[in-house]
Formats: sequence, C-alpha cells, structure tokens
Amino acid sequence: MARNCIVVNLDRCTGCFGCEVACKMENGVALGERWSKVLTVGPVGEYPDMTRYALPTMCQQCENAPCVSVCPTGASYRDEDGVVLVDKEKCIGCKYCMMACPYGVRSWNAAEKCVEKCTLCGHLTSQDKLPACVKSCAAGARFYGDLDDPNSDASKELAKYDAAEIHTLQDVGNAPATRYIMTSMIGQWQERVEPKGHPHTAASPVAE
Amino acid sequence: MEIQWSLVLFTALSGAGAWLVACAGLDAFRGLARKTVVPAVICGIALIIVGGIASATHLSHVDRIMAVLAHPAPGIFLEALLLGIDVVVAAAFLVLYKREASAGALKVLGVVAVAMAAIFSYSCGSSYMMASQLAWNTVALPLGYLGGAMASGTALWYVLCAVRREEAQALSFAALETLVGSVAALVTALVYGAASGVMGGDASVLFWLGVVICGGVAPLACAVTGLKKTEGALPLAVVAAAGALIGSVAYRVLMWTASVALMSLFGVGI
Repeated sequence: MARNCIVVNLDRCTGCFGCEVACKMENGVALGERWSKVLTVGPVGEYPDMTRYALPTMCQQCENAPCVSVCPTGASYRDEDGVVLVDKEKCIGCKYCMMACPYGVRSWNAAEKCVEKCTLCGHLTSQDKLPACVKSCAAGARFYGDLDDPNSDASKELAKYDAAEIHTLQDVGNAPATRYIMTSMIGQWQERVEPKGHPHTAASPVAE
Repeated sequence: MEIQWSLVLFTALSGAGAWLVACAGLDAFRGLARKTVVPAVICGIALIIVGGIASATHLSHVDRIMAVLAHPAPGIFLEALLLGIDVVVAAAFLVLYKREASAGALKVLGVVAVAMAAIFSYSCGSSYMMASQLAWNTVALPLGYLGGAMASGTALWYVLCAVRREEAQALSFAALETLVGSVAALVTALVYGAASGVMGGDASVLFWLGVVICGGVAPLACAVTGLKKTEGALPLAVVAAAGALIGSVAYRVLMWTASVALMSLFGVGI
C-alpha cells in the first residue's frame, strides 16, 4: 500500500504560515479551526548552541493509525491509496479519534458536529495536482508523494539527505509517515513539543 | 481535557448496576437475602440502562449510532456489546428466579453475572488505554474502573438488604461483600494514583479526598463496622454507598482532569 504523505524540509521553511492559510482557503476550514498549523519551536539551548525553527504540522498519516483502529463506526478509515481520511457522514462525534491521535492534529467541525482533518487534498491529487499547502509553499519546503515510490517528489527530496537528518514526530508505535528534514545548520531536532496554549503558535520541547 | 460527564456517569452507573446484579447472582449460592434479589436485579438493570443512555448523550450524531454495528472494533463497540449481554444475563436471572428455577441454573447464571460485572467494568476503563494519553496508558486505569464499580455495586446491595430488613446473617454477608468491594476500590485507586502520578500535583486533593477517602476508606469503615453490628445497618450501608459512588465518580473525573497528551499540537480541547 502506498505511503502518501507530506515531507517538509525545515532547512528551507521560513515559517511564513502560507501553508496554513492555503489549507484553510482550499478546504473552507472555519475560523478558529485548523487542518494544518505552523508552530515555532524554541528558542532552546544555550548561546551559541541554540535552536529555533518553524514546525508545520498536520495529520502525520500514521501507518498504524490509532484514530482508525479506535473509531467505532469506521468513519476514520484508510483509503485505497493509504491515506487516512474521515467519512463525515459516518462520524457520530464521540471524539475518540481525537483522544487517540498522538499529535492532537484532528479538528472539530463545530457547524457539522463531526471530526475532520487534513485530507492531503485528495480532490486535487486525484487530478494530478499538488496539495494546496505544497503548491503555495513560497520557500519550496513542502513535498508530496509516496515514500515507497523513489520517483515521487517526497522520496527524491529525502534521498538528498542522510538518515540522521530525517526525522519524525515522536513515534509511540503509530509509525508516522510524515518526514521532517532538518540538518545541524538549523539546530537540534525536538521530537516532542508542546504549544504554549491555543491559539498561540509558540511551542517548546518537552523533556522526557 | 474537559470532564465528559456523560461518560463519567455511564461507567459509574452501569458499573454499579452490573455489580449489583452480580451480588444478587452470588446470593444464589447462599440464599441469605431472598427478599432483596428481585429488587436488586431490577435496580441493577435500570442502572445499566440509565448509564448506557447517559453515554449516548455525549454523541453529536446519535442518529448514526447503528453504524457501530458495521464496524466491530475494540472500545465503544465492546462496551455496548458487554452492556447488552449484561442486561440479558440479568433479565434471564430474574425470570428464572421468579419462576423458581433449579438451584443449579441460578448458580450458573450467578457465576455468569459476577464474571460479566468484572469484564464489563474493566472493559469500560480499558477503552481509554491509548499511547497518546500518558496518564491513561496503564492497566491500573481499568483496574480502578473495576474497583470503583465493585465498591458501588456491593454497597448498593448492602443498602437494599438493609431496606428489605434481611436477617442478621444476610446483612453481615452484605457488609463482607462491601468490604471486599471497598478494598478493591482502595487498592486499585492507589495503584493507579502511583502509576499515573495523580497522587501529587494539582489533582491530589480530588484523588485523596474524593477517590481514596470517600471511595475507599469510608465504605471500608462502614463495612467493617457492619460485619458485627447488624442492628441499624441502614445508615452504615447508605454512607458506604454514598462514599463508594462519590469515589467512583471522582475517579472518573480525575481521569479527565489529569490527562496528559503526548502532544496536542492544535491545542484543541476535547
């Protein structure tokens, strides 16, 4: 099965929030709700070894997606292309998937009273177009594609870097597909971060 | 996380109801509280059903609930299934008891009722064990659900035995059952408190006062007193039941207030 996801090159990301805005506009995400959010991690460390970087976040397209396994109605499901999606017509609004998501990147649609999330812009990719966040990225930091296809944009970007420079958010058995590229030029990768209160974008690392 | 009162009431009431039915089932072996069995089973079924209805009130689209049948997955489906089975077991026990069925049949259903109470109340807590919620992802959490439900159900049985003016031997045995239930609540709550870290910090007052003292120590003290003091058992039983129910609710409230998400990147409250 394909492992379609977004790859973000943090060496390039400027933290402009353009991806977040493009996502909201393309998908009609309501005010106060998000399918994509850019956090600013840090600054952490001690001068001169300090780290501060923008962290665009969205559904991480986990291979062992807890949201899919806990959903009582099958509203959270994986389609034939391996993309984790929500069938809003089946959602009963139990929010169990929101509790089970290790990253808290699901959104509550207050008007429709159901859960929703990043769809990887399936309505665009099915027509060989790019997801809105990828297309709009001014820094060329976002890549879409199948990690198992060496010719995909995502795989080709990852192939340019050493394994040590490719990261995921903390994996607790869910195997997130989304990859973040970050070299020592930017600083030290923080695999678990915590926002400093909604709706602020500042985030700090969580010490284990 | 916000307190989900619908879910708090669901597991607290349905769990207590299941254990109330279990106590009635256990009486099939002793035959001490014959005046109490029927009202206890009826109350138990009512509590299980009221709890089940309470759980549905937190859904935003109850109209789509039948979709659950199309996707039998762990968690909510299992809880609903076990709840239904428990009601069927209780109803079957009630019918057989009213029709004065053989002692063997009643004993078999009594054992099933006890097993169902344990499985159901444990399962209600095990649904919350998930890697994304650090304070929930321990087997101690569902054990605490089981302990709290056991204390509530046995204490309610004690109350009904006292209300129905059962003989001293029946009251003494009901106190013993309450003692076992309250010890289970106390031990499992302490284990969860240690495992999840809620013993200290912001939640410590609710934990020690609500869960430990009200939910464990109070019913335990009443039960110990009631073992020998069968005269005026009703006040003891009422205090035990009130304490156990408060403790059971407090434990579930604590679970929501003390939850620690691995990451909550969007900061969306649930």
